[in-house]
Order: sequence, then C-alpha cells, then structure tokens
Amino acid sequence: MTTAATTVPTKSRKPWTPSQIVLTLIGVAVSAVFVAPIAASLFTSLKSEAEAAEIPPHWLPKVWTGQAWKALFETGNITNWFVNSLVVSVCVTSIVLLVSALAGYGFARTEFRGKAVLMGLVMSGLMISPAVLGVPLFTTVQQMGMVDTYWGMILPQCAPAAMVYILYKFFQGIPRELEEAAFIDGAGRWRVFFTIVVPLARPSLAAVGIFTFIASWNNFLWPYMVTNNPDLMTMPNGIATVMNSYGIQWAQLMAGGLMAGLPLIIVFVFFQRQIVAGVAHTGLAGQ
Amino acid sequence: MTTSAQTVVAPARVKSATAVATVRRKQGFQHGGWFIAPFLALFALFVIWPLLRGVWLSFTDANISGEDTSFVGLDNYREALGDSAMWDALGHSAYFTLLVVPCITVMAFLLAMLAHHIERGKWLWRLCFFVPFLLPSTVAANMWQWLFTQGIGLFNETLGIDTPWLTDKSYAMLAIVIQTLWWTVGFSFLLYLAALQGIPGHLYEAAKLDGANAWHRIVHITLPMLRNITGLVIALQILASLQLFDQAVVMMDFSPGPELSTRSFVQYTLEQGFTSYRVGYASAMSIIFFVIIAVVALARMWLLRNREEGGR
Amino acid sequence: MGRPSLSRRQLLAGIGGLGVAGSFAFAAGGTGADALASSASTRVRYWNLFSGGDGSNMIAMLDAFRKANPAIDVKDSTLQWGNPFYTKLAMAAAGNRAPELGVMHMGRVTGFSPGRLLDPWDVELLAKYGVRQEDFNPALWSRGVIDGKLYALPLDIHVQLCFYRKDVLKKADLLGDDGRMIPVTSTDEWFDVLKKAKQAQKKGLQTIGLWTNDQNFQWWFFVAFYTQLGGEWFDDARTEVLFDADKATQVLEFLRQHVTDGYVIPGAPTGEQFINGAPFTWEGNWSVPVFSGAKLDYGATPLPPVFGKQATHAESHAFVLPHQAGRGGATNEAAHQLAAYVVQHALQWAAGGHIPAYTPTLSTPEYQKLTPQNEYVSAMDHQATEPKVWFAGSTGVLAQDLGPVVVSSTMGSAKPAAVAQTMKKRLAKLLVSKNPMDGRTAAQGGAVV
Repeated sequence: MTTAATTVPTKSRKPWTPSQIVLTLIGVAVSAVFVAPIAASLFTSLKSEAEAAEIPPHWLPKVWTGQAWKALFETGNITNWFVNSLVVSVCVTSIVLLVSALAGYGFARTEFRGKAVLMGLVMSGLMISPAVLGVPLFTTVQQMGMVDTYWGMILPQCAPAAMVYILYKFFQGIPRELEEAAFIDGAGRWRVFFTIVVPLARPSLAAVGIFTFIASWNNFLWPYMVTNNPDLMTMPNGIATVMNSYGIQWAQLMAGGLMAGLPLIIVFVFFQRQIVAGVAHTGLAGQ
Repeated sequence: MTTSAQTVVAPARVKSATAVATVRRKQGFQHGGWFIAPFLALFALFVIWPLLRGVWLSFTDANISGEDTSFVGLDNYREALGDSAMWDALGHSAYFTLLVVPCITVMAFLLAMLAHHIERGKWLWRLCFFVPFLLPSTVAANMWQWLFTQGIGLFNETLGIDTPWLTDKSYAMLAIVIQTLWWTVGFSFLLYLAALQGIPGHLYEAAKLDGANAWHRIVHITLPMLRNITGLVIALQILASLQLFDQAVVMMDFSPGPELSTRSFVQYTLEQGFTSYRVGYASAMSIIFFVIIAVVALARMWLLRNREEGGR
Repeated sequence: MGRPSLSRRQLLAGIGGLGVAGSFAFAAGGTGADALASSASTRVRYWNLFSGGDGSNMIAMLDAFRKANPAIDVKDSTLQWGNPFYTKLAMAAAGNRAPELGVMHMGRVTGFSPGRLLDPWDVELLAKYGVRQEDFNPALWSRGVIDGKLYALPLDIHVQLCFYRKDVLKKADLLGDDGRMIPVTSTDEWFDVLKKAKQAQKKGLQTIGLWTNDQNFQWWFFVAFYTQLGGEWFDDARTEVLFDADKATQVLEFLRQHVTDGYVIPGAPTGEQFINGAPFTWEGNWSVPVFSGAKLDYGATPLPPVFGKQATHAESHAFVLPHQAGRGGATNEAAHQLAAYVVQHALQWAAGGHIPAYTPTLSTPEYQKLTPQNEYVSAMDHQATEPKVWFAGSTGVLAQDLGPVVVSSTMGSAKPAAVAQTMKKRLAKLLVSKNPMDGRTAAQGGAVV
C-alpha cells in the first residue's frame, strides 16, 4: 500500500518523451524475441504429439490439449527427477552456505602461517570445474564408491572457491570493533560468529545461497557424469538422457523442460530484487 | 546490544578489563583453523586430489575399470599433441569462444543501456532479458533444437528461410552460438545493469551543463566507467565459453555434430574417457585443458596488474 | 506489523528447516523415490536403448511378462541410443552400480570387456526357462561366446533396407509382376530406376532418403556396399590392413552421386519425406512399424546389389548381464527369466521389423504372414558386418572414426579418393592401437575369439 502511494507521484513525473516512446518500443520488441522461445515451447506442450511435429509448424495449437502434461506425469520419471533435483539442490546449498561462510570468515579473521599460500591454492580452485577435470574427478568419486549415489552428486559441488572468496571479501569489510567488543565481554569464537557475524552477513549469504541453488538446480555436466541410474537423475540430466520409450515426443519434451525451468522462473518473479542483487553481487565480486 | 549495555553498567571493571581484553582480543582471532577445516576437507577431496590424480593418471594407460594400470611416461601427451582430432576439438571450442564473447559483451551492454534508460517497467525488462538464464542448459538446448529442426521448427518458419541449422557443418556451430547468446546474455546483462546504476549521476549532470550531447556522454562517461566490468564480463565469458559442452551435445543429440563440426574439447575428452574408456589419455587432455584455462586466467591477472600500474 | 510477520517468519524457517532435514535424510537413504515405493520382492532393473516403435513393442512384451510374473518388479529404463547408452552402461558397471539386465549390440560385446564389465550367462538357468543353444543360428550364438562362456544372448538380427513406395513405383513402371520392386544388379540400373521414379514422384520432395549427414547410416551403407564389392579389412592375423582404397572410392563415389545427381535433399528428414511421397528411403528395418503405422503402400528389400553381390549391413541386439560384484540370487535368476521370456516371445518384436534370433519363431505361420518382413527375411543370409575386432560394433570406435569421413565425402566436403586414403590410414592406426580395457592390440587377441 505504502509503496504504491509513493510510486504514484514519481510515475507522473516521467513524461512520455519521444525518446522514451522509441526506447520502450524497442524494449518491447527485444523482450518479445527473448520470451518467444519459451512461449513457443509452452504452446507446443499444449499441442498433440502429431500437431507438434507437423510440417509446416505454427505457433498456437489448433486443438488445445493437456495430453503431453498428463502423459508426463503418468510415465512417472519426472516426479522422481523433481524430487531428486530438490534434494540435491537443497543439500548443496545448505552445505555450501555453512562451509563457505565458515571458511570465508576463517580466512578473513585469522592469522596463521601459510595463510597466503592456502588462499592462493583456494583461488586456483576457481580454474577447476568438472568440465576441466571431469575424468579424474569421476575416477576419484568412483574409488570412493559414490557413483550413482546422492552424495556422489552433492559433495563435489560443495567446494566452490568462488563463494569462499566472495564471503571472504565481505567479512573483511566488517569492522573488527564489533567482534572485539564481544570478545572482551568473554564471548567465544563460535558464539561471535553465529550471533554477530552471520546476522550482519545475511544479504551476502542470501546472494551466495541463491546463486548456489540456481547453479545446482541447473547443473547438468556433473550429475550427467556421475549418475547412470535413471531413478537417481536430476531434472536437467533426466530430460536430456532418458528418452521417452516412444521416441522423441516434442510436446512432452517441452512440457518436461518447462517443469524443470518453471520453479526457478516463478521464484524469480517473486524475489526478483534479491536475486538480481545476488547475481550482480556474486558476479561483481570477481572484479 | 547486550555487550554495550554491560560495559556501560560496569565502569568499575574497565581498568582491569583492558588487560583481559587485549588477551581475549588476541585469542579471539586465533585458532581459525577449525573455521576453514570443513571447506578444506571438501576442497582437498574434490578439487586438489582429482587434480593430482589427473596428473598421475595422465602418465598411465588407465582404463575405466581402474584395473590393469601401468605407467607409460609421456606417451599420452605425445599422442595428444599429434592427435588432429584433439586439435580440431580445441579449434571448435576456440571458434565458439571467438564468436560468442564479442557478441555477448556488446549485446549485454546494449540490453543494459536499454533497460537502464527506459523509465517505465524496469522489472519487466529485467525479467525478459534474464529469464532464459534461469533455464537448465539442457532445457534451453532442447527448446532450440526443436526451433532449429528443419521442417518442424519455428525458427526457419518465422524467418521464411530453409537453413539446415543442425545438419550442415557450416551452420551447426552458428546454431549453438545463437542458442548460447539467447540463453546466457542475461547474466552479463545484469552485471552491466548493476554497473550502470553505480555510475554517479552528477557526472552526467556536469557533462550536460558543459553541453555534451547523449552520444558524447556515452563515449566519455559511460564507456570509461564500464571498463572494469567489461574486463570482467569478457574474462568470465572466455572461461565459460572455452568449457562449451552442455548445449552442444544436447542440440546435436549427443553426437559430435555434422562431420564432427561441433565437437568441443570437453566433449572429446569425455568421449575418450567414457566412450573409448581411455581414462589415462583423457586425463592427459584434462591436464592440457587445465593449463590452457590457467594461462587465460593468469593472462587476465597480468593485464589487470599492468593496467593498474599504467594508471598510477 | 512486527508480530505476525515474525511468527510467519518462524513458520517459514520451520518449514525450511524441515525441508533441509528431509533432503538430507533422503540423500542418506540414497535409493531414489521409485525404489522406496516399490513393494515387489524381486526387482529387476533393465536398461535398454529402444525408442520409437521398438520402445512400444518392448514395453508390450514387458507388460506381458509382468502379468505372468507378478512377484517380479521390472523397472525398465530407456536411455538415449548410441554412445550415451554405452557410456552409461560402462560407467555403471565400473562403479559397481549396474542394473540386473541390459541390452547391447552384438558387435560391441568383444570391446566391452567381458568378464570385467559383463558377467557371463548361466546357461543352465537359461535352459530352465526354455532357451537352448540349438534354437539359434549357430554363427549368431557363437558371436556371444567368449573364452567358452556365453556373454550375450541374441534377441534379433536387424538390417539396412531399401524402402520403396509401391504407389509411386507403379506409376513409374518399376514394379514386377509379383508387386515387388524390379531387381537391380548394377549402379547404372539403379540410377536409371531413380531417374524414372523421380519423373513419377510428387514435386518438391527428394527421390531417396540416404541420411547423407548421419555418420552412423553413412557408415552402415559403406560397409554394405564395400562388402558387395568383396572388400576386405584386415588379414586373419590382424596384423595387416587389407583395406582396398580403390573399391572404397567406388563405393564413396556411388554414395556421392545420389547427391550430385540431385536425388537427395541433404538434411531433409528422411522418414517424413517418405511418408509424404518420396519414392525411396534407405533405413534400418526398425522403420517398418513407422511406415506401417502411416498406412503406406510400401515394400522393403535388402539394399540393392548394385555391385553384383547381395550384402546388406546387419547387426544384432543381445541381452547382457552388466557386471555386479554380488551378482546371484533371486534378482539374477529373475533377470535370466525375463531375458528368456522376451527372446521366446519375439513375435511382437518382429512386428518392429527385426528378424527374431530365436529360430522357432521364424517358422510360425504368424511370422510368415508378416509383410514386408517376409520380403527381406533372406537378408540374414547375406550379412555385411564390421570386422571382428575390439574397436568394431554399433557406434564403436571404428564407426566413430570412419563414419564422419564417409559423410564428408557424401556431402562433398572431401574427394572420395582422398577419403578412401584417410580411411585406410585410420584403419592402420586402429589396428596397432591397444584395447584400453586389457592393453592388447587386435593382433594380440584383444578379447576376440
């Protein structure tokens, strides 16, 4: 209510100048191009399979039908994959938050011999990803007996040097006096961390958490390498590698894709400001 | 809150407390090891150890089963350097990077300028330009695979052309580039947008007073102020583009593309490791790739440092 | 304002905490939702690569099996055909997470490290469920036997075929009195046929579908015609390349001519074109249900013997037991039972165009009535197969190395003669290369019997 009241006067202050009209029109056109593929796949998911493969194609279904969505749920795999995606992403996000907050704080607030070397080592981790070192990483996980397990999918995603670096930067910016005052009062290390530092870091932690969740939900390469059992696959992996037994069915494929993509899109619509800030924050920290 | 209250109500203890405080303050910042330990454990297991293991494996003829491994010295590296398929794959990744990076940088900048300067509905532009980035790689790739399929795809239909995007070697990589631009430009767009919002408004007002027109303001204020962010966008994009894999394999149905034209370095490495079961050889290629990535990353650091020194 | 939002926040935090805890519990359980929900006592996981018509036939056979054996829970998974499938299967076996039952191409078995990634079949257990060696073509059966043990139980033989539309060929006067395509014995005759068909066909379509830019099909066609010319690959000792570049050039030029003479629209979807009225398409026999389903008036012969001798590319699907460290017990027996059942009830499978490996099926009147299957059943006597070396087999190293260069010739980006030399060079390189699974070259055995 209050926000609406304050925006009304500012709105009226913006006149429709010719340049604004031109820019807005361009904006609408470009947006249409960006949204079109998603809209097209939504429409396709509402066609019958025969219509989805028709030559020549057309945008809107002639006959609207939910058969693809119904079939998707009847085949059953998609709900499994959804649960798997959720389990993996939630676990990865919570472990990453905990571990990288601790490490970022540790690096920012402790002095010990070899810290610079260790920090450099962690920074070199920025260059390593499953795309770069996939095969040796797989054999490592294979040796641990974690191929085709949730932990095999989760744990290798839980050592992101970038997130440690971002939080390290943030913690460095917190004035030491706050902690010192608490130490003087006899508070222990951990209590200071959880009661003073963590609450201060909430925006940064949110950014890291959001970014980690998006990355983990959308991760394809590592889950693709480490899971073979279709029961354990996550959404992006299952959709890409487990074909429907009746052949490529575009309507169903599009419906499945939207199932995988929609949760994040809906979340984005509601938490746009935080997510934009989070992505910008994590990205800009690399400067 | 409670801490400040306590110090206020107990002024009598202040003097003796300073001594205690120094000790506590010092102790307070020690023993950080336990904070770092959990991360280090994971980092050692899943980053450092695989790297060392990769180096070791690259000197062996290891296969996927992990049995019958023997030391072969530099054979894998010798073979890799003479393997034209590997160079082709590296070429494809580099070609993709060369096409994507400039396009994405310019597009992201233009989109950000657009979204920044339209006064109404900022959230809508942000949503539209960024939303593709939220899709999983495989989903975004499936969408475009379908759009590009000859005959049944809407891309050709809408443009009124009949290009064999996915089946002809001269178009296949372009199709992947187009898909990638659509899918990932949103991320760089957000970075630019954040940077644009960070440019102090008084700079523009001062320039306006000096009689600079819009074009001059862009060239003399906006672009210089965006130099750092442009460096970042380019660096991130180069590193990400060199690691091309997801969208290429999905759009080509897990094949190396028409006449191998879209087989990226990552794809070739994984093929060697998991399809031909040559873990040793694939490890050698991983190490080569790691060196390439490291060189790019170090080059950026070196450039940054040079620029800083030049600026002084 | 403050209070309700605080309690709502606590509620959200509570839900969030439960979600996190639940996720960790689920991850610790580690089996996936589906396995948790399964109640049957014996669960057989079965991985295959059958999509399209094959997929639905396989599912129908599995459903019949499930009905007859309710105590066995069959969890079938269809993975992307080709290398992704073999990659997944190998990685699962190497990581000791393999399914109880899998399907492979016969040609891939030797290179798939029998004994390490595959477990042998218990022949007595198979016999208990009605499958015996004498019910199979001996040559086919022996392809699955390595070091005296059976590693692959054959399900079918599948071949490359020349599909033709009777309605178009009739107009072009290319049908014989028996209603089948007139026989062709030379390349000139073949292009003559194409010329006539082109005049009779609908405009705007291609005359023949050749999968000109598909490295697998182009490779299969190459193997077929190279075999027709009597071309050889290696000597018996596997030490020398006998590949004949001249013969290869002939084949490559033949394939290329379809494009240069304008009978092919490169990249056009072959199946859709055929259904819409293109007179010919060369496809695997698995397209039979697709074209029958589209109610076309069509026939199918083995690839035309344009170089004089009958030969068409053939492969075989076979059941395998991916390696499990603790293989045995009820699940293993159930896997044997399921495979035996499917092999014996292959009439449904034959509807997918495949020639059943279980010979009693071939002599049933139901099979002999199937069209166009009865027109090409002879193809099993003229099989063109890849050389029997560790790097061969469907989408194997050989096909991966040579397929793309065949495509480059057919598509015109390289000259046939140059491509033939490239092929010869690559064959020489492959021959001395070691099978990564056991470190032996083809000459040293490399798991080939």
